[in-house]
Amino acid sequence: MADRGRRKVTYHRRKICRFCADSSLIIDYKDPRTLRMFTTERGKIIPRRISGNCAKHQRMLTVAIKRARKIAFLPYTTSKLK
Amino acid sequence: MRHYETILIVNPTLGEEDYRETLNKFTNMIEKQKGVLVKVEEWGSQKLAYDVKKFEKGFFVLMDYCGMPGLTAEIERDLKLDERVLKYQTVKLADKVDPQELILKEREAKEKAAREEVQGPESTETVQEEEQTDSTEEVSSDG
Repeated sequence: MADRGRRKVTYHRRKICRFCADSSLIIDYKDPRTLRMFTTERGKIIPRRISGNCAKHQRMLTVAIKRARKIAFLPYTTSKLK
Repeated sequence: MRHYETILIVNPTLGEEDYRETLNKFTNMIEKQKGVLVKVEEWGSQKLAYDVKKFEKGFFVLMDYCGMPGLTAEIERDLKLDERVLKYQTVKLADKVDPQELILKEREAKEKAAREEVQGPESTETVQEEEQTDSTEEVSSDG
Protein backbone atom coordinates (compact mmCIF):
# COMPACT_ATOMS: atom_id res chain seq x y z
CA MET A 1 0.00 0.00 0.00
CA ALA A 2 2.74 2.41 0.98
CA ASP A 3 4.64 1.49 -2.17
CA ARG A 4 1.72 2.31 -4.42
CA GLY A 5 1.25 5.68 -2.79
CA ARG A 6 4.89 6.60 -3.30
CA ARG A 7 4.84 5.58 -6.95
CA LYS A 8 1.93 7.91 -7.65
CA VAL A 9 3.89 10.83 -6.27
CA THR A 10 7.02 10.10 -8.31
CA TYR A 11 5.07 10.01 -11.59
CA HIS A 12 3.67 13.47 -10.97
CA ARG A 13 4.86 15.92 -13.63
CA ARG A 14 4.53 19.64 -13.21
CA LYS A 15 2.75 21.41 -16.09
CA ILE A 16 3.39 24.98 -17.04
CA CYS A 17 0.84 27.59 -17.96
CA ARG A 18 1.47 28.35 -21.62
CA PHE A 19 0.20 31.90 -21.35
CA CYS A 20 2.56 32.65 -18.45
CA ALA A 21 5.54 31.09 -20.24
CA ASP A 22 4.91 32.79 -23.59
CA SER A 23 3.85 36.42 -23.32
CA SER A 24 3.30 36.65 -27.07
CA LEU A 25 0.37 34.26 -26.75
CA ILE A 26 -2.62 36.48 -26.10
CA ILE A 27 -6.09 35.35 -25.10
CA ASP A 28 -8.57 36.98 -27.46
CA TYR A 29 -12.03 35.75 -28.34
CA LYS A 30 -11.49 36.92 -31.93
CA ASP A 31 -8.60 34.48 -32.37
CA PRO A 32 -10.22 31.06 -32.64
CA ARG A 33 -6.98 29.40 -33.71
CA THR A 34 -5.39 29.84 -30.29
CA LEU A 35 -8.59 28.99 -28.49
CA ARG A 36 -8.93 25.75 -30.46
CA MET A 37 -5.78 24.47 -28.74
CA PHE A 38 -7.66 24.55 -25.45
CA THR A 39 -10.81 22.78 -26.54
CA THR A 40 -11.38 19.11 -27.23
CA GLU A 41 -12.36 17.80 -30.65
CA ARG A 42 -15.91 17.92 -29.43
CA GLY A 43 -15.57 21.58 -28.57
CA LYS A 44 -15.43 21.23 -24.80
CA ILE A 45 -13.09 23.43 -22.78
CA ILE A 46 -10.07 21.42 -21.61
CA PRO A 47 -9.87 21.49 -17.80
CA ARG A 48 -7.03 23.16 -15.99
CA ARG A 49 -5.79 19.93 -14.47
CA ILE A 50 -5.03 18.64 -17.98
CA SER A 51 -3.95 21.77 -19.84
CA GLY A 52 -1.86 23.01 -16.91
CA ASN A 53 -3.01 26.62 -17.21
CA CYS A 54 -2.85 28.86 -14.17
CA ALA A 55 -6.11 29.94 -12.57
CA LYS A 56 -5.93 33.49 -13.88
CA HIS A 57 -5.38 32.49 -17.48
CA GLN A 58 -7.89 29.66 -17.36
CA ARG A 59 -10.52 32.15 -16.21
CA MET A 60 -9.69 34.49 -19.07
CA LEU A 61 -9.68 31.57 -21.47
CA THR A 62 -13.12 30.29 -20.52
CA VAL A 63 -14.62 33.74 -21.00
CA ALA A 64 -12.91 34.05 -24.38
CA ILE A 65 -14.08 30.62 -25.54
CA LYS A 66 -17.64 31.32 -24.48
CA ARG A 67 -17.63 34.62 -26.34
CA ALA A 68 -16.16 32.96 -29.41
CA ARG A 69 -18.88 30.33 -29.28
CA LYS A 70 -21.58 32.94 -29.13
CA ILE A 71 -20.42 34.67 -32.29
CA ALA A 72 -19.89 31.36 -34.18
CA PHE A 73 -16.09 31.36 -34.20
CA LEU A 74 -16.07 28.14 -32.20
CA PRO A 75 -18.67 25.39 -32.09
CA TYR A 76 -20.73 24.62 -29.01
CA THR A 77 -20.59 20.99 -30.07
CA THR A 78 -19.55 19.17 -33.23
CA SER A 79 -22.25 16.56 -33.64
CA LYS A 80 -24.12 17.49 -36.80
CA LEU A 81 -27.66 16.23 -37.00
CA LYS A 82 -29.15 16.52 -40.44
CA MET B 1 -16.83 57.49 -22.56
CA ARG B 2 -16.90 53.76 -22.73
CA HIS B 3 -15.07 51.68 -25.27
CA TYR B 4 -17.06 48.95 -27.00
CA GLU B 5 -16.63 46.58 -29.87
CA THR B 6 -19.42 44.89 -31.78
CA ILE B 7 -19.08 42.02 -34.19
CA LEU B 8 -21.90 41.58 -36.67
CA ILE B 9 -22.49 38.68 -38.99
CA VAL B 10 -24.24 39.94 -42.10
CA ASN B 11 -26.22 37.76 -44.49
CA PRO B 12 -23.73 36.46 -47.10
CA THR B 13 -26.27 36.34 -49.93
CA LEU B 14 -26.66 40.12 -49.96
CA GLY B 15 -25.32 42.10 -52.89
CA GLU B 16 -22.49 44.58 -52.48
CA GLU B 17 -24.92 47.50 -52.32
CA ASP B 18 -27.14 46.02 -49.65
CA TYR B 19 -24.11 45.05 -47.63
CA ARG B 20 -22.69 48.59 -47.76
CA GLU B 21 -26.06 49.99 -46.82
CA THR B 22 -26.29 47.80 -43.71
CA LEU B 23 -22.80 48.83 -42.65
CA ASN B 24 -23.49 52.50 -43.23
CA LYS B 25 -26.74 52.27 -41.33
CA PHE B 26 -25.01 51.17 -38.16
CA THR B 27 -21.91 53.32 -38.47
CA ASN B 28 -24.14 56.36 -39.00
CA MET B 29 -26.24 55.31 -36.05
CA ILE B 30 -23.23 55.32 -33.75
CA GLU B 31 -22.33 58.83 -34.82
CA LYS B 32 -25.91 60.03 -34.51
CA GLN B 33 -26.03 58.79 -30.92
CA LYS B 34 -22.96 60.89 -30.08
CA GLY B 35 -20.62 57.95 -30.25
CA VAL B 36 -17.17 58.01 -31.80
CA LEU B 37 -16.25 55.37 -34.33
CA VAL B 38 -12.65 54.21 -33.85
CA LYS B 39 -12.40 51.62 -36.58
CA VAL B 40 -14.38 49.28 -38.78
CA GLU B 41 -12.79 46.03 -39.87
CA GLU B 42 -14.36 43.93 -42.58
CA TRP B 43 -13.23 40.34 -42.45
CA GLY B 44 -15.21 39.25 -45.48
CA SER B 45 -17.06 36.00 -45.89
CA GLN B 46 -16.08 33.43 -43.27
CA LYS B 47 -17.31 30.01 -42.36
CA LEU B 48 -19.46 29.81 -39.25
CA ALA B 49 -18.74 27.20 -36.59
CA TYR B 50 -22.42 26.27 -36.64
CA ASP B 51 -25.37 27.18 -38.84
CA VAL B 52 -27.01 30.50 -38.05
CA LYS B 53 -30.48 30.95 -39.52
CA LYS B 54 -29.59 28.11 -41.89
CA PHE B 55 -26.55 29.93 -43.23
CA GLU B 56 -23.16 28.24 -43.20
CA LYS B 57 -21.22 31.38 -44.01
CA GLY B 58 -21.44 35.03 -43.12
CA PHE B 59 -19.81 38.41 -43.64
CA PHE B 60 -18.00 39.37 -40.46
CA VAL B 61 -17.69 43.02 -39.53
CA LEU B 62 -16.01 44.42 -36.45
CA MET B 63 -17.00 47.88 -35.23
CA ASP B 64 -14.83 49.51 -32.62
CA TYR B 65 -16.36 52.59 -31.04
CA CYS B 66 -16.77 54.74 -27.96
CA GLY B 67 -19.97 56.04 -26.48
CA MET B 68 -21.95 56.85 -23.39
CA PRO B 69 -23.73 54.05 -21.54
CA GLY B 70 -27.03 53.33 -23.26
CA LEU B 71 -25.61 53.62 -26.74
CA THR B 72 -25.22 49.88 -27.13
CA ALA B 73 -28.80 49.28 -26.07
CA GLU B 74 -30.00 51.51 -28.90
CA ILE B 75 -27.76 49.87 -31.46
CA GLU B 76 -28.50 46.32 -30.34
CA ARG B 77 -32.24 46.96 -30.56
CA ASP B 78 -31.82 47.91 -34.22
CA LEU B 79 -29.44 45.02 -34.88
CA LYS B 80 -32.06 42.67 -33.53
CA LEU B 81 -34.74 44.06 -35.82
CA ASP B 82 -32.56 44.11 -38.92
CA GLU B 83 -33.06 40.90 -40.86
CA ARG B 84 -29.84 41.34 -42.82
CA VAL B 85 -27.83 40.86 -39.63
CA LEU B 86 -27.71 37.20 -38.63
CA LYS B 87 -25.94 37.59 -35.31
CA TYR B 88 -24.15 40.23 -33.28
CA GLN B 89 -22.17 40.53 -30.09
CA THR B 90 -21.05 43.59 -28.16
CA VAL B 91 -18.18 43.53 -25.71
CA LYS B 92 -17.17 46.36 -23.40
CA LEU B 93 -13.41 46.86 -23.60
CA ALA B 94 -12.90 49.70 -21.13
CA ASP B 95 -14.90 52.01 -18.90
CA LYS B 96 -13.19 55.37 -19.19
CA VAL B 97 -11.36 56.17 -22.38
CA ASP B 98 -10.55 59.18 -24.49
CA PRO B 99 -11.81 58.44 -28.02
CA GLN B 100 -9.36 60.85 -29.66
CA GLU B 101 -6.44 58.98 -28.12
CA LEU B 102 -7.76 55.69 -29.47
CA ILE B 103 -8.17 57.12 -32.95
CA LEU B 104 -4.60 58.40 -32.87
CA LYS B 105 -3.33 55.02 -31.72
CA GLU B 106 -5.30 53.31 -34.46
CA ARG B 107 -3.83 55.63 -37.06
CA GLU B 108 -0.30 54.95 -35.84
CA ALA B 109 -0.88 51.21 -35.95
CA LYS B 110 -2.18 51.51 -39.48
CA GLU B 111 0.85 53.50 -40.63
CA LYS B 112 3.15 50.98 -39.02
CA ALA B 113 1.40 48.11 -40.76
CA ALA B 114 1.59 49.93 -44.09
CA ARG B 115 5.31 50.56 -43.61
CA GLU B 116 5.95 46.94 -42.75
CA GLU B 117 4.04 45.84 -45.80
CA VAL B 118 6.33 47.90 -47.99
CA GLN B 119 9.45 46.65 -46.24
CA GLY B 120 8.27 43.08 -45.83
CA PRO B 121 8.79 41.71 -49.36
CA GLU B 122 12.16 43.50 -49.68
CA SER B 123 13.57 41.99 -46.52
CA THR B 124 12.53 38.47 -47.51
CA GLU B 125 14.25 38.93 -50.89
CA THR B 126 17.56 39.78 -49.26
CA VAL B 127 17.32 36.69 -47.09
CA GLN B 128 16.84 34.51 -50.12
CA GLU B 129 19.78 36.11 -51.88
CA GLU B 130 22.01 35.47 -48.91
CA GLU B 131 21.18 31.83 -49.04
CA GLN B 132 21.92 31.57 -52.73
CA THR B 133 25.35 33.16 -53.01
CA ASP B 134 28.04 34.61 -50.77
CA SER B 135 28.57 37.79 -52.77
CA THR B 136 25.09 39.12 -51.92
CA GLU B 137 26.08 39.49 -48.28
CA GLU B 138 27.70 42.80 -49.10
CA VAL B 139 24.52 44.03 -50.80
CA SER B 140 22.29 43.19 -47.89
CA SER B 141 24.63 44.85 -45.38
CA ASP B 142 24.44 48.07 -47.40
CA GLY B 143 20.67 48.00 -47.43
